[in-house]
Amino acid sequence: MSRKLVSVVVLLLMLLVFAIPAASQTAGEAVPAIIVRSVTQAERPIEFETTRLVVENMRQLGLEVEHRAVPWAQLIDEIWYTRTGDEAWEMTYWRMVGRPERSDPDEFTYNLFHSSVRDGGYNFIGYNNPDYDALAEAQRVEVADKEARLDIICEAQQIIRNDMVNAYFVHPLTPQVVNTEVFNADSVVTQAGIGVHNFWTWIGIEPTGDNKDLVTSTTSFLNSFNPLEIAGDAPSRVTEMTWDRLMRINPIGVAEPWAAESVVWEDPLNVVVTLRAGMTWHDGEPVQSDDAAYSFEAALAGTTQTDEDGNESFRAEAPDYYPFARNVANIEIIDDLSLRFTLHTPSAAFETSSLAKLNLIPKHIWEPIINDLLTKDDADVDSIQEDIPIGSGPFKYIAFDVNEFVLLAAFDDHWARPKIDTWLMNVLPNQEATLGQIQSGEMNFLWEWPGDPGVLQQIVDDNEPLDLFSAISIGFQYFAFNVRYAPFDDVTFRQAIAHTIPQQFIIDNIYNGFAAPADSFVSAALEYWRQCDDLPTYDQGIDGARELLAGAGYTWDDDGRLHYPAE
Amino acid sequence: MNRGIAYYILGRFLQSVMVLWIIVTLLFLLFRLAPSNPLASYIDTTFTKEQEAALLARFGLDKPLGEQYIIYLFNLARFELGDTFSYSGKSVLDILSADLPNTIYLTLSSLLVAYAVGVLGGIAMAALRGSLFERVGTTFTLMTRAAPTFWVGMLLLSFFAFQWKLLPSAGIGPAVVRYRWETEWDKLMSPVFWRHMILPTFTLALYLHGLPLLLMRSNMLEVLDQDYVTMSRLAGYSEWRVMIHTAARNAMLPVLTALTLGIGYSIGGNVVIENVFSWPGLGRTLVRAVQQADYPLAQGAFFLIALIIVFMNFIADILYSLLDPRVGASAQAQVS
Repeated sequence: MSRKLVSVVVLLLMLLVFAIPAASQTAGEAVPAIIVRSVTQAERPIEFETTRLVVENMRQLGLEVEHRAVPWAQLIDEIWYTRTGDEAWEMTYWRMVGRPERSDPDEFTYNLFHSSVRDGGYNFIGYNNPDYDALAEAQRVEVADKEARLDIICEAQQIIRNDMVNAYFVHPLTPQVVNTEVFNADSVVTQAGIGVHNFWTWIGIEPTGDNKDLVTSTTSFLNSFNPLEIAGDAPSRVTEMTWDRLMRINPIGVAEPWAAESVVWEDPLNVVVTLRAGMTWHDGEPVQSDDAAYSFEAALAGTTQTDEDGNESFRAEAPDYYPFARNVANIEIIDDLSLRFTLHTPSAAFETSSLAKLNLIPKHIWEPIINDLLTKDDADVDSIQEDIPIGSGPFKYIAFDVNEFVLLAAFDDHWARPKIDTWLMNVLPNQEATLGQIQSGEMNFLWEWPGDPGVLQQIVDDNEPLDLFSAISIGFQYFAFNVRYAPFDDVTFRQAIAHTIPQQFIIDNIYNGFAAPADSFVSAALEYWRQCDDLPTYDQGIDGARELLAGAGYTWDDDGRLHYPAE
Repeated sequence: MNRGIAYYILGRFLQSVMVLWIIVTLLFLLFRLAPSNPLASYIDTTFTKEQEAALLARFGLDKPLGEQYIIYLFNLARFELGDTFSYSGKSVLDILSADLPNTIYLTLSSLLVAYAVGVLGGIAMAALRGSLFERVGTTFTLMTRAAPTFWVGMLLLSFFAFQWKLLPSAGIGPAVVRYRWETEWDKLMSPVFWRHMILPTFTLALYLHGLPLLLMRSNMLEVLDQDYVTMSRLAGYSEWRVMIHTAARNAMLPVLTALTLGIGYSIGGNVVIENVFSWPGLGRTLVRAVQQADYPLAQGAFFLIALIIVFMNFIADILYSLLDPRVGASAQAQVS
C-alpha cells in the first residue's frame, strides 16, 4: 500500500472520528451533562458560591450540571492543559486581576481572544474569529489616531459581547484599609482600576506625626526580589518601587514620562526617550542611557536552540519580560541621556506595555549576570537573587527574607523622595491575624484582603482611626466557555447561559455590594476605552434563556431535559 | 553491648532505611501524579509555548518519569534536594536549613514546657487522687487535647495579641530587628525572638501536655500499688520522697519514650501552629510549597520531616533496648 493511500485512509478515519460525535450531539439528542469548574469553597468562598448559584440556575434550564470545585493550581492545570480532546473542560469560573499595565486594553484585547494564541496561549476558550483577529491586530498598530483606535476597541467589545464567549459579571471592588491616625487620608491616591495600593500612594502618602513607617502585609507569596522576574502581585509592588521605569501609569490610567524627561515619537516606528538628568542608582553610580538601553537588551537576551528534529526555538533569559520587549528592533544611544527605540511594527500599547512596564536595571551589575546566564542551558534570571538589589527607584532595599518580609527605605537622593521613611511588607498567611493587626495598630495599611469585604467594613465601622477605600478593579470575574465543543460552540446556547447569571443578585448578596457589574473585558474603570455604544445585555433570567433556546429550535422532553435542535 | 542488642540495632537500622526508601518513593509518585502543575504559577496572558518548554527543561520535567526518579534518588542519597520552583535563586536546602532551626526551637521549647507541666501535673494528680484538683485537672487536660490547635491559637491571639496587646501576634520578630540577626546565635540572644515564641509555644504545649500528664498519672497510680512503694512508706520516708524518688522515677520510663517519639511527631505536626502564628518553620514552608506545586520544596520538606520521625523512632528503639534488657535478649534468642 502506497504512503499516499495510507495517508488518505488515516485522514478518512480521523474525519469519521470527529464527525460521528459531532453529528450525534446535534441531532435532537439531550444536551449531555456539563461540568462547571471553580476553585474550592475554602480557597475562594465568593467564587465557589457564585458558581453554585449559576449551576443551580442552569439546572432549572433543563441541563444536567455538575459543579466540580478543585484547588486553584489544579484548576489552572485542567483549563490550560485539557483544552481539547475527550477530557476537555467545558465551562469554568475564571478571573483576571488588575495591574497598572493592563490600563491599556491591548493585553486583554489581543491575548484573550486572538486565534494565534488558542492552542498554547491565554485564548484557552478556543475562540477563532477572523474578523475579530483583524480588529485585535488593527488596534495594536493604530498609533497615530487614538479615536480611531477607540472605535476598533469598541467594535471588538461588541463582537465579544455578542458572541458571548466569556460571560462577564463583575469587576470586584478592591477594599483596602488605611489607619488615618498615622497617615493623612487625603494623601492616599486611588489609581483607576487598581485601588489605593499603588505607586502614587507609596510615594505620596503623608504621615500625620513622627511615625513615618508604613507597615502592610500580604497573605500570598513574596518569593522574589528581582527586577527581571514577574513573580506575582506582592513582588511586583516591591520591584516597581525599587526600580524606576521610563514611564509610569498615572492615577487615571495613562502612561506618563517618569524617569524619562520626555518621550517623543518621531514616526510610528521610532521613539526618542530622554532621561532626567542627575538620577543615580542606589549604589551612587549615575543612571545613563546605556543603562536604559541595557534594561531592554536584557529582556531580549536569549539563545536559539535546536531540538533533535531540527526545530529551532528561542530561549529568553528573562522570559517574563521578553514579551514586553520583543517588538523592539533596535536601540540607538544618542548621548548620555538620550536613546532611540525602533520597533518592528507600530504599537499603540508600547508606552503602557513596554516603557511603563520594564524596570530600569544598572548595566554595570546585570551585564555580567546575563552574560553568564547565556552560557548556561538550565538557568535563567528567575534563578538569580542579588544579595543587595540595586535600583534607582524612590525606595531602596534594606532587607528581604523570602516569604517573610521585605523592608525598604526612602532613597534620599531620588527626585521624588517618598514622604514616609520605611515601607515594610510582612507575609501573614493567616487572614485573622491580618484583621487583628490592622485593628491593634501593628499594621497601618491593609492593601490585600481576599476574604469577605463585609467583614472589613464591620471592622472599619468599629474602629475610629480606620478608613476603608475601594475602587473598581481593571480585573474581572467571569464564566469562560470552551467554544470548541458542543453545546458551547453554539452562540445561542452561550447567550442563554449568560441570561441565567443573576448579576445584581450576586453583587448584592455574594459580594456584599463590593463589586460593579461587568459586561466586557474592558473595565468601567477605564472610562476612555468604554466610550462605546451600549453593549448587549443578558438579564432576562431563566425565562428569557428558555425563550431564546426555544427560538433556536432547542426542545425539552417530558422530564424537562433540554435537547439539541432536531436539525 | 551484647551481640543480641547489636543485631537488634542493625535490624532496626535496616528497617528504618527501608521505611525511608518507601516514603521517598511515595513522595515522588504523589507529587508527579497529583492533579496540579508546577507551571501553574507562571501561566499568564503572555505565557507562550516556548516559555513552557523552557521551564519544563529547566526543572528537568521534560525527562521520562523513570529517569526523573533515578536522578531524584541519586540526589537524595547525596542530600541534594534540588532547586525550588518558586523561590528565586534558592535551593531547597537553603530554604529548609533556614526553617529547620525555627521549627526545632518551637518544638523543643513546647515539649519542655509540656513535659515539665505534664510530669509534675501527673504526679500531683496521682498523689491527690479523687480530689477536686484531679477531676478538674483531668477534664481540662482532655479538653485541651481535644480542642483544635488552630482554634486555641486564634483565641490566644485574639486576647493576648490583639485585645490586651501583651504579646506579638506573628513571626519571630519585627523586620527592623530581624534583618540585623546575622547568625542563629544573634537570634537566640535576642529577647524579641523569645517574646515572639511565647504564644506559639504555649499553644503547642497546651496540646502536648496531655499525653505526659495522663501517662504519668496512670503510671504513678500503677506504681503506687507496688510493694516497693509500700516498703518505702513503711521504712518511714516522707510522702514527698516516696512520690518523687520511689514512685515517679519508676513511672517516668514510658514518659521518656513518649518524649523521644514526641520530638519527631511534633516537628512534623507543627504545620497548623506555624501557619496560625506565621512562624517561619518547616510546616509553613510545606503548606506554601504544596499551594505553589513546588515539588522539590514540598518533597524536601516531607523528606526532612520523615527523616526526623524515622530517626527519632530509631533512637526510641535503641533507648528501649538499653533500658529494657529483655528487648536485646529476645533479639538474641531470635538470631541464635
